[in-house]
Amino acid sequence: MKTKNIFKLLFFFFGTLIFFSACTNELDVTPKDDDEFLSEDFYASKDSYRSALAGIYGNLSLTGTTGPASSNLQGIDAGTSQYGRTLWYLQDLAADEVIWSYENDEGGAVKAIQRNTWSASNTILLGFFSRAMFSVALTNDFLRQSTEENLAARGHSAISAEIKTYRAEARLLRALAYYHLMDLFGKAAFVTENDPIGVYQGPEYNREQLFTFIESELKAIEGDLVGSNQNEYARADKAVAWMILAKMYLNAEVYIGQNKYTECLAYSNKIINGGFSLASNYSYNFLADNDYNEAGTNEIIFPLVVDSKVTQNWGPTTVIINGEVGSLEANAVALGVDNGWGGALRVRKQFAEKFLNGDVPLTDTRNTLTTEGREIEIADVGDRDAGYIISKYKNLNVDGSRGGVHFEFVNTDFPLFRLADVYLMYAEAVVRGGSGGTMGEAVGYVNALRNRANSATITDNDLTLNFLIDERSRELHWEGHRRQDLVRFSLFTGGNYNWVWKGGSTNGIALSSHLNVYPMPANNMAANPNLTQNPGY
Amino acid sequence: MKNFKIFLFNVILLFPVLMFGQQTVKGTVTEATGNSALPGVGIIIKGTIKGAATDFDGNYSIENVKPGDVLVFSYIGFNTKEVTVGNITTINVAMVESAESLDEIVVIGYGTTTIKDATGSVAAVTEKDFNKGNIVTPASLISGRVAGVTVTTDGSPGGGSAIRIRGGSSLGASNDPLIVVDGLPISNSTAGGSRSVLASINPNDIESMSILKDASSTAIYGSRASNGVIIITTKKGKSGFNVDINFKAGYQTLADKIEVFDGDAYRNLIAERVAAGQGGISIEQLGNANTNWQDEIYEEKFTFDQSISVSGALFNNVPARVSWGNTQQPGLRRTSKFERNSLTFNLNPSLADDHLKINFNANISSENNRFAPGVEGSAIYFDPTQPVYDATSPFGGFFEYHTNGIRDNANRNPVANLLQNENTSIVDRLYGNLEFDYKLKFLPELRTVLNLGYDRSYGVGSSILSTESINGFRYEEDGVVSYIGSESHYTSERKNLLLDAYLAYNKELENLNIEATAGYSYQKFMAEDFNTGNKRDPEAERDTNTQPDVVLLGFFARTNLNFMDKYLLTLSYRRDGTSRFNSDNRWGNFPAAALAWKINEEDFLKDSDVVSELKLRLGWGITGQQDIPASYAFLGRHVTGDSFSQYIFGNSAVVVGIPQSKFEDIKWEETTTYNIGLDYGFLNDKIKGSVEVYLKESNDLLANVAVADGSNFSNAGWQNIGKFTSKGVEFAIGSDIVRTDDLNVNASYNLNINQTKIDELAYGQDIEVGGIGGGTGSRIQVHREGFAPYSYFVYKQLYDTAGAPIEGAYADINQDGIINSSDRYIYKKPNADITMGFQTGVNYKDFDLVFNLRASIGNYMYNNVNSSRAQYNLLQDVTALGNIPVTVLESNFVETANVLISDYYLENASFLKMDNLNFGYTFNKFNNDISSIRVWTGVQNVFTITNYSGLDPEVFGGIDNTIYPRPRTFLMGANIKF
Repeated sequence: MKTKNIFKLLFFFFGTLIFFSACTNELDVTPKDDDEFLSEDFYASKDSYRSALAGIYGNLSLTGTTGPASSNLQGIDAGTSQYGRTLWYLQDLAADEVIWSYENDEGGAVKAIQRNTWSASNTILLGFFSRAMFSVALTNDFLRQSTEENLAARGHSAISAEIKTYRAEARLLRALAYYHLMDLFGKAAFVTENDPIGVYQGPEYNREQLFTFIESELKAIEGDLVGSNQNEYARADKAVAWMILAKMYLNAEVYIGQNKYTECLAYSNKIINGGFSLASNYSYNFLADNDYNEAGTNEIIFPLVVDSKVTQNWGPTTVIINGEVGSLEANAVALGVDNGWGGALRVRKQFAEKFLNGDVPLTDTRNTLTTEGREIEIADVGDRDAGYIISKYKNLNVDGSRGGVHFEFVNTDFPLFRLADVYLMYAEAVVRGGSGGTMGEAVGYVNALRNRANSATITDNDLTLNFLIDERSRELHWEGHRRQDLVRFSLFTGGNYNWVWKGGSTNGIALSSHLNVYPMPANNMAANPNLTQNPGY
Repeated sequence: MKNFKIFLFNVILLFPVLMFGQQTVKGTVTEATGNSALPGVGIIIKGTIKGAATDFDGNYSIENVKPGDVLVFSYIGFNTKEVTVGNITTINVAMVESAESLDEIVVIGYGTTTIKDATGSVAAVTEKDFNKGNIVTPASLISGRVAGVTVTTDGSPGGGSAIRIRGGSSLGASNDPLIVVDGLPISNSTAGGSRSVLASINPNDIESMSILKDASSTAIYGSRASNGVIIITTKKGKSGFNVDINFKAGYQTLADKIEVFDGDAYRNLIAERVAAGQGGISIEQLGNANTNWQDEIYEEKFTFDQSISVSGALFNNVPARVSWGNTQQPGLRRTSKFERNSLTFNLNPSLADDHLKINFNANISSENNRFAPGVEGSAIYFDPTQPVYDATSPFGGFFEYHTNGIRDNANRNPVANLLQNENTSIVDRLYGNLEFDYKLKFLPELRTVLNLGYDRSYGVGSSILSTESINGFRYEEDGVVSYIGSESHYTSERKNLLLDAYLAYNKELENLNIEATAGYSYQKFMAEDFNTGNKRDPEAERDTNTQPDVVLLGFFARTNLNFMDKYLLTLSYRRDGTSRFNSDNRWGNFPAAALAWKINEEDFLKDSDVVSELKLRLGWGITGQQDIPASYAFLGRHVTGDSFSQYIFGNSAVVVGIPQSKFEDIKWEETTTYNIGLDYGFLNDKIKGSVEVYLKESNDLLANVAVADGSNFSNAGWQNIGKFTSKGVEFAIGSDIVRTDDLNVNASYNLNINQTKIDELAYGQDIEVGGIGGGTGSRIQVHREGFAPYSYFVYKQLYDTAGAPIEGAYADINQDGIINSSDRYIYKKPNADITMGFQTGVNYKDFDLVFNLRASIGNYMYNNVNSSRAQYNLLQDVTALGNIPVTVLESNFVETANVLISDYYLENASFLKMDNLNFGYTFNKFNNDISSIRVWTGVQNVFTITNYSGLDPEVFGGIDNTIYPRPRTFLMGANIKF
C-alpha cells in the first residue's frame, strides 16, 4: 500500500517536472510593442525597404526614433551627436567665421573647439565620429538585407529595380560619411556589409585608402543613381556623387598629396551642366521654404532635411537661427522663432572685415551684419553684447510668413552642397592650374555670384587665390566649409592668418600643424584597438 | 516463598493505588500579556519522552502523570516553564515572552530556520525592533537597524528608498536587493503614476523582515541574488480574537533652506556688482518686493495614518486577519499629496488533520497622488525683488517674464508652476499569494508546497497644465500667438506571475537532523504603458509602449544537516534560466555551501556561565545578476520612428526604420562571496551580537560600454566586461543592559566598514558618469580601474596665500603646460567608508523611550547647488535677473564655466543623524475589553550633525542638485489593542 503511494507520488512529481521543463520555451520572448519588430518580420513588407532607406537618410538629421531629444548613441546627448550640427561645429566653429557664447556647454567641449584647444576626450569629436560611423553601420545592414537572394526569399523580386537605386543611394551615404571622416580625422575604421554584426573591430584606413575606396565606390554606383537634379526632394542623385568627387579632387593635395585639379574641373563641369541654376536671390537658399522655393529646386544640390513638425532636431539650422537672435536686438520674430537663445552666436572680427570697407559695410546682399550699437571686438567671449551678429539663415518663407508653428524648431533645411560652391570650385581649380576650364569661364562664374549679390564684378587679374579664399567666405560662410578651405590654403594652422581667439588667445596665435587634423576620439579608439592616434596628440 | 507471596500480594493490593496515582492533567496555556490562547505548546513530562501539545484553544490533556512529576511547557518565543504536579489535575499556565530571540524563526528562501541554526549571514528584524515614527514605506522600518544595510529614503511623500546591502555588486546592472513579499519576488519596475514599488505596502501589516546578506543564504535565489535579499513577511491570523488600532498624526515642518539673498540684500548686491564693472546686468529690472521664494513653494502640513486590524479564528478553526489602513502624507511642496488606502486579508486554514495548510494572502491598495514639479531650482534662482503675484499678468495673475504676451527665455515663477500644474494619478494594486503546504499522510516527513503569486499594478494618471500657464503649448492662428497649456493622459500596467513548487523533507535521526528541499520556480514579468501625448498639440501621437515579457525559471535544491546540534552544514544549488540572454547563455549555475560550528555546545563551553552563544560560520556561494534595462539585446530587431522623427522624400514624410543594436553573447554577472561570521552571546545572552568579514568578487560585470563603431547599431551596448571587488567587516552588538521588573534598558549598535574597488573595465577605459547641472553634458564622476565606482573626477583648485580660491586656476597634474581635461584627477567618492546604527530603548514601569542614531563616515558630496549657481555671472540669466546663493561671498567666483568642475565644491558629507525619538506610555488592562493602550509622542528627523554646507548630507549618488527636502515631523499617536 505504502509503496504504491510512493510510486504514485514519484510519478506525479516527475510528471510535473517534465511539464514544467516544457515551460522553458517561455524563455524565448518576442517584441510586443507595435513599434518594434524582429528584423525578419520588419522586412516582410515591401514598404520597409523605403523605410530603411529613410532611416539611413534620417541619420543625417535625426538622433533617435522618439523625438529630437532621443539619442540612439549612448553617452552623448542629442545635442552633441547630430550629424549636421557636429559637422558645422567642427568646420565652422573652429575657425574665423563664428563664435559661441556659452562656453561651459558640453563640459567645455564647445569652448575647446572654438579655441582650438581640443583633446582626444572632446565630446563633439566623439559625437561626430560615432554618428558618421552609424551611417556606415546602417548602410551595411541595408545592403545585407536587400541582396537579390534576400529579395527573392521574401518574395520581393518585383521591386528589384527600385531596390537597386536604393542600394546605390545607401552606398553614396556611406561614402559621404567616410568622406567627412577622411576630411576631419584623416582615418576611420573600415567596415562593410561583408563584416559581421556585433563587436567586430574594423581595420584602420588612412587617407589614401579611404580616398581610393570613396572614389571607386562613387564611380561604381554612378550608373545606378537617378539623373542629376531629377530625384525626388531630399534624395541623392548623380550630382551628389559628382559633388563629393569634385570636393575630394579639389582637396587631393591635402588628402593624398596629389594634384587632381583637372579631375575636379571635369566633375564640376558635369554638375554645372547638370540642370542646376542659381536662385535669383541669395537669401532664398537659407529660408524656411528652401525645400521647394527657387533655391531648393534649382540651386541646392543636397539638403539635410529639417522640419519643425516631422523631422524635429537640434541640428545646424535650429542652432544657427536660434543662435542668431541678438542679445541686444531681440530680433527673434524677425528670424522666425519665438525667443532665440539670447545671443549665442556672433562673428569674429576677421570675418566681419570681409564685408567692411574700413568702417563702411559693403552693399553686397550676402552681408547680413548687424553693426549698430555693437563693437567689432570681442574681449570677453561670454559677453553676448560684444561683436557683430548676422542674420543669414531665417525660419521665414520667401513671402515673409513663418516656417511652421513651433516656438523653437525651424523648417529651414541645411544646404550641404549647392551650385554656388561649384562655381567657386571651378574658379579655384582653374587658378591652381587644372585643365578642362578657362579663366574666362571662371571669372564669369564668380561674377554671376557677385551680380546676384549686387556686388561689383571682377576681372581676370582680380581672380587670385587670396581673393578666392575671401570670396568663399563671403558666399559660403556658416555652411560647413571654412576649416576645409583654410587647411587647403595652408591658413588654418601656422601663423599666416590669425583670427581672434585662435588658439585661445585674444588676438589669435599660430597653431601647430598637427591641428590640421582632429584627434581620434579616445572612446572610439579604446573600443577598437586597430585605430591609432594622429601624430601630435 | 512466603515473603514472595506477601510481596506479590502487596503489589497486587497496591496496584490500584498506583493506578490511581497515575492521573490525567488538563489545563489551558495562555500568553501572560493579553491572555490569548497558545496553540501548539509542547508539554513533556520531564525525564520522559511522554508529551502532548495544546490544541487550537490552548487546551491540553496529558495522561499518566504522577504527583511529583514535572511538566515542562515549551514554546518558541517564550520562556520555558516547569510546573511540578501535585494533587490538582487542572494546571493552567501563563507563558512569558522570551527576551531571547535566538529561537526566533527567520524566514530564508523557500523555508525557515532559527537564528540559532542559521549557517549564513542572516538578520531578522521583527516588529519590536522596527523603527518607530512616521514610517510611510516599508524600507524605513529597518533603516540603520542592520549592519551593512543602508536605506536612503527620498524626501518626497511616499517616496522610494534606495536600499544597499554591503554596497551592492554591480556597475551597470541593478544594485537593488531582491525583495520578496510572502514568497512573491517583487519586480523593481514601478508602474507609471506610482511613487515607488514599495509605496503601496502598508508598514503596519509587516510582521518581520529577514535580510539575507551573503551568498550562502541568497544563492538559492540564483540569478537575482547578488545584491542580497530582503524577505518581508506580513502578519497572519492568530487564535484568540485580537483587534489592533493605530492612530498617528504628525505635523511636517521644513528643516532647512538654501540661503540666498533676500530682496534688500539683493538690491545692494546688484548695485555693487554694476559699480564694480560687471557687464550685462539689467539693473532696471529690479523690483520693489521682498519675496522669499523658498518659503512660497513649501507649506507645512499635517500627515495622518490610521489602521485597524482584526485577527482571530473564523468558525473557530481558520485563523484569519483583516486589516485596513489609510495614510495621508502631503509633502512639503505646495500641492503635493500622497494618500494610500490598503486592505489586506489573510486566511490560514489548516485542514486534513493539520496535514494541509493553506496560506492565502491578498492585499489591495490604492495610491492617490498629486505630483508637484521640482521647483527648488527656480525658487533659488528667482529674483527676490519680484512679487509672486502681478495683477497685470496674462498668466493667471502670476508674475512672469514676457514681452507683450510672448514668453521670454527666462526663469519661470515656481509658485505658478506648482499651482497651474495638475499631475495626478491613481494606482491600484492587487498582490498576494496562495500557498498549499501538504504533509504526506504516509510519509509525514515530506511536505509538498505549491505557491502561486500574483502582483498587478494599474496606474491611471493625467498631467494637465492650465491654459494660463506660461509653459503651455504654443498655438498660432492668424498670426495671433497663444499658449494653450497641455494635457496628457496615461495608463501603466505592471503584472507579475509566480509559480513555486517544491518538496521539503525533514527527518530527525538520533544525532543527525536532515532537511532537504528541491523544487522549481517560474516567474513572468509584463509591462505596458499608454500615453496620449499632448492632446492640445494637433501633431501629438498616442502611443502604446509594450515591453517584452521577462521570464525567469529556476530549479533549486538545498540540504541542511545538523549533526549533534553542534555541526551544521548547508549546501544549495540553483540552476536559473532567463529570457534576457540567448539560448546558449541563458542558463546559469549557482552553488553555495556553508558550515557552522556551535562552539558553545562543545563540552568545554556547554556549561559556561559566561559564554552562552558562540557560533562560527563559514560561507561561500555564487550568485548571479541579470537585471539590466535591456530585455533582449541579443535579438535582431528594428524600430520605427515616431511622428516627430521621420524623413521627407518628395512631398511626404516617410517613417524611418532603424535596426536596434544587437549583442548576442551577453550572459550573467557572477558574484562569488566568501563570508566568515562569529555569533556570540555572553551572560545568558544578556549581551549578544555578531562579527562578520566578507569578500565579494563580481565577474563579467554587465555594463553599457563602448563597442567598435560601425560594427553595431549604436556606439555602446551591454557587454560582460569588468570586475569589481567589495570587502568589509560588520559588527553588531545588542544588550539588555538592565532588566528588572520595573526598569528595562536595552541598546543595540551595528557597524559596517566597506570598501569597493573596480578591478577591471572594458579596454581599461574610463566610463564617465554622474551628470550635473550647470552646463549641458557635464559629468563629475568616473569609473576607473583601481578606484571605487562613481569616484569624483575633478580639477585641483589652487588657492592664494590668504586661502581664497583663485578662479579657474587648477594644478597642472600632468605637467604638460596646458590645463585641459587630462589634468582632472580622482578625489574621494560618494559612498561611505563606515556606516553605523544605534538604537536604545528605556522602559520604566509603563513609560518607554526609544531613539535611534545613524552615522555615515567618509562619504563625500559634490555640491552642485553651489557649483552651478554661486557665481556672479548668474546674476543675469539671459534676459532676466537671477538670485544666487550667499556662498558666492566666500568664493567670489564670477564665471560658472571656470569653476564647475573644481574640487572646491567637493565636501565631506559625513553625518550623524537622529532619525527618531519616541516617548510613550502604556495603559495596561485599561478595562476588561481593552488589553492595552499606548499613547506616544515623538519627532522624526530630529537632528543632523554634519560639516556639509548644503541642505542635507544624505543624497543618494553623491551629487546634490537640490533635493526634495526631508521634513522634520512632530508626531503623536495611540495604539489600542483589544
